Amino acid sequence: MSSFMEGLSMALEPINIMWIIIGGFLGTVVGMLPGLGPATAVAVLIPVTFGMNPVSAIILMAAIYYGAMYGGSRSSILLNTPGDGSAIAATFDGYPMARKGQAGQALAISAVASFIGGMIAVVGFIFLAKPLANFALEFGPAEYFLLMLLTLSAIVALSIGKMVKGFLAMMIGLTLSTVGIDTQTGVYRFTMGFPHLSEGIDFLIVIIGVYAIGEVLYNFLNIDQQKKEKKKVGKVWFSKEQWKRSKWPILRSGPLGFVIGVLPGAGGSIASMIGYTTEKQLSKKSEEFGDGAVEGLAAPESANNAASVGAMIPLLTMGIPGSGTTAVMLGALIMLGLRPGPLLFEQQPETAWALINSMFIGNIALVIINILLVGLLVKILDTPAKVLYPVIVLLAFIGTYTLSYSTIDFFLLLVFGLFGLMMKVLDFPIAPLVLALIVGADMEQNFRMAVLSSNGSLGIFFSSGVSIGLIVLTLLSLLYPLIIKLVKKRSKNNVLDDEIHKTS
Amino acid sequence: MKTIKVGVPVFFILFSIVFLIASLNLPKANLGNPNAPIYFPAGLSVIMLIFSVIYFFQELKNLHKENEYIKQILSGRTPKLIGFTLLFGAIYALLFDRIGFLFSTIIYLGALLFYINGLKKWLVNIMVTIIFSFASWYAFSVLLGVSLP
Repeated sequence: MSSFMEGLSMALEPINIMWIIIGGFLGTVVGMLPGLGPATAVAVLIPVTFGMNPVSAIILMAAIYYGAMYGGSRSSILLNTPGDGSAIAATFDGYPMARKGQAGQALAISAVASFIGGMIAVVGFIFLAKPLANFALEFGPAEYFLLMLLTLSAIVALSIGKMVKGFLAMMIGLTLSTVGIDTQTGVYRFTMGFPHLSEGIDFLIVIIGVYAIGEVLYNFLNIDQQKKEKKKVGKVWFSKEQWKRSKWPILRSGPLGFVIGVLPGAGGSIASMIGYTTEKQLSKKSEEFGDGAVEGLAAPESANNAASVGAMIPLLTMGIPGSGTTAVMLGALIMLGLRPGPLLFEQQPETAWALINSMFIGNIALVIINILLVGLLVKILDTPAKVLYPVIVLLAFIGTYTLSYSTIDFFLLLVFGLFGLMMKVLDFPIAPLVLALIVGADMEQNFRMAVLSSNGSLGIFFSSGVSIGLIVLTLLSLLYPLIIKLVKKRSKNNVLDDEIHKTS
Repeated sequence: MKTIKVGVPVFFILFSIVFLIASLNLPKANLGNPNAPIYFPAGLSVIMLIFSVIYFFQELKNLHKENEYIKQILSGRTPKLIGFTLLFGAIYALLFDRIGFLFSTIIYLGALLFYINGLKKWLVNIMVTIIFSFASWYAFSVLLGVSLP
């Protein structure tokens, strides 16, 4: 309890409140830009955290993350262009609402739904974080290795329809993680004689390269076709009737999104889609979905914000990022000298609790920013992409320079930017690459430590209930796409049978 | 386009083989198991090779399918935009330490803006270049205490 109060007082420090507001605003702005989601927002804005104390930095990054989640749906509603995957569901009913002249109502309900979803998840976080951290303290190298394997397999399994590419992206990430001095034996691996590579490839350079430069280069593909669509927003608030229709979908989708967010691999995109389809199935007016049904906007908005808070649980309690964005955050935290994991709650409980408490304040700040400053935010959408993209590229360069003060890294940044572009063009998922690169070194070391402790026997991976549970979950996550395929096939066959039955 | 579609998995196959050879030729460790640093990368390269071969056959099967993005990347002014952004970036890297952050940033951002946004918008380009270069210098160098050349 004392750590909680200490964290609360840290989060309430005026400087931290200021960072929450700045981060929330910057995140919203970057998240609003089509094609640039929360991962890019955090990656591009990492340099802003340099020179800050770790608590303020972690608070700022979390605010950027949630801000980007809010921002993504602004452009979904106003332009029918989601800022990222988790904002796609907001286009289904948010944009039709805007077309009907209800842009203000749509923006308000999405902000309030995000706020409530986020708050529900923060409460869940408070109750779950410490027990999970304590549970993770029991983990040995074998369990950690298997947990990382589960996270990677879950994120690959979610690339349904392109699993081979997901595995290849993961393999590239793991391969890159082997570059540098092997920490257990001191052997130089794949440094190709470059002393610069002896400490490995800095994953922040890869992250900034693929997410910032890669995304900008990818957006060049249709930069000349991007149309300016001016929107009239109107009064930013909703009617009593709209609230009546939205409140239960919001309250149902929040916990649902939170649980999905906690699961490794599953993020805001899945949470918002499940939130949307669940409400469509429950609704008495399901025929209105897709045509501007307010609950069709409220439910996914609540779910995806709750998921983004939930995704912070494995990151902070186990040091395992479950999504691309939390992987970027993990990289930034390590750079700041913080090592997320169970020991964070043991050794720096006030930092962990300051972050958790900052989420409350961040959610309140964001709902205010997104309702009061909506006019300003909409104006930012009018800024031409042709001006914004060069500026984002420049920010990426500055960020890279501040990592190691070396311009050699600029070349690495360009290489990974081009690589990120190729991945997007060839439809390779990026999250498995980034996750694998970040957890790769730890994964290898844990694997080797586990095998070493059992005198070379692989039986160590089957020696505890937790290990076996993790193996089963890994196998299930890999079988998940096959199960989905089978279920789809079966339901299709059932429909066909019904048709035949009817006609005969 | 077909060349690219087949070329990518072929590249992966070759990369996996080269990586496997490089892994097997890694120096032996003086401490503990001498082959310990080799196992993980060697294992990775074998798994990567298997997936690359599967990817190759998948692409062969889908060779007739159009990839709009590959088409787009090769057409219009997109390849030039990508090429010049990377080229300007490389020049920026070479100038950065020599002429300092502020001058190199003005040159880089200005060049990029004029190239992407066009000559007609010269006033916007110049304003953004100057304001953003000075603002970023002030924010990073003065406010955040980052040492810039």
